[in-house]
Amino acid sequence: MLRFFALFILIQGLLFGLELTPWAQHWFVMPWTGTLARTSAGLVKLFDPSVLAQGNVLQSTRNGFAVSIEAGCNGIEATIVLLAAIIAFPAPWKRRLLGVALGVAAVQGLNIVRLISLFYLGQWDLRIFEWAHLYVWQALIMLDVLIVWLLWVRMLPALSSVSEPARA
Amino acid sequence: MRKGALPRFLLLVFAWLFLSFIVWRVSAPFLVWPVTLLSHAFSAMFLSDLVNGVEQQGSAIIFLTSLRPAQATTTISASGLLTVEVDTLIYTFGLPLLAALTLATRQPRSMRTLGLAYAVLLPLETWSVVAQFLKDVAITAGPGVASQTGFSAWQREVIAFAYQFGALILPTVGPAVVWVLAHRAFLERLSGRFAPRPASRQA
Repeated sequence: MLRFFALFILIQGLLFGLELTPWAQHWFVMPWTGTLARTSAGLVKLFDPSVLAQGNVLQSTRNGFAVSIEAGCNGIEATIVLLAAIIAFPAPWKRRLLGVALGVAAVQGLNIVRLISLFYLGQWDLRIFEWAHLYVWQALIMLDVLIVWLLWVRMLPALSSVSEPARA
Repeated sequence: MRKGALPRFLLLVFAWLFLSFIVWRVSAPFLVWPVTLLSHAFSAMFLSDLVNGVEQQGSAIIFLTSLRPAQATTTISASGLLTVEVDTLIYTFGLPLLAALTLATRQPRSMRTLGLAYAVLLPLETWSVVAQFLKDVAITAGPGVASQTGFSAWQREVIAFAYQFGALILPTVGPAVVWVLAHRAFLERLSGRFAPRPASRQA
């Protein structure tokens, strides 16, 4: 357990530090944030044609309301936490990769739900938008990370088969 | 693990989360009070040349600095010195999540566990609050104020990292990690892991 937490904190610190570098911001964070805005706009357009995405901004052409997707809103930090928890936990690498793929999809999927919900909450009531944006959704995203990780841990083979070498 | 234990646990988490958010918002000024004390103690020990005092107004912590404002728009105190207000809610919203997770486990002495977990999180919350204060005076307030702080370029980089870590990672990860550590036995039952024991000898 101690080894897991030490690795978890170390990997998390490294990935978070990497995320903050100008290189990662330019080549990964900004493009990813733009992709999120376009994906959210694409999904919203299925039922609401008055939405457009410009860079990291999601805007309503009907009333001009716009949300800008910033650091902390793009789900990257939550993904980093999940990655660190999966990599730090003792498991075969195949299972880790599967966990990372499914986990990232789950976290980013919920994050798109979050962005779309905030976009409409903001048009409805700014106070509720602030409350949901700053507190409620942050907690829910972290709960999502925790659930995904617990589900992944449950799906792992028994501990003995992880730690023991394969028999000839 | 019993089938359906995880969904049942999650339902309880959501139910407690709703209630916990209300309690947290109402009692925030009381919950934040130790963070104010810790921020004050930290400032007195390490930032005494920058900070004259630390006060609390509701759930906000106010740093009374010894810095002169560089712009008319900057918040100043009656003495004409710069004050920096930090909204603690954005760094303590993990408390309702921690409370919901703890109460949903339905373990004995859960209130005691919650109290201990709350105490463990206080230094992390203080980190976030102090890091925002330092970021505000060393970076956001502009060169006129930043030059008075005396921080070098690399120190400002460290402050920026500490602020980002304190704002984006600690408020959510801290409560989750504390909960995992405090509920190893529960998690072991839920997942069949976390506490690997040496193989028992067969008679």
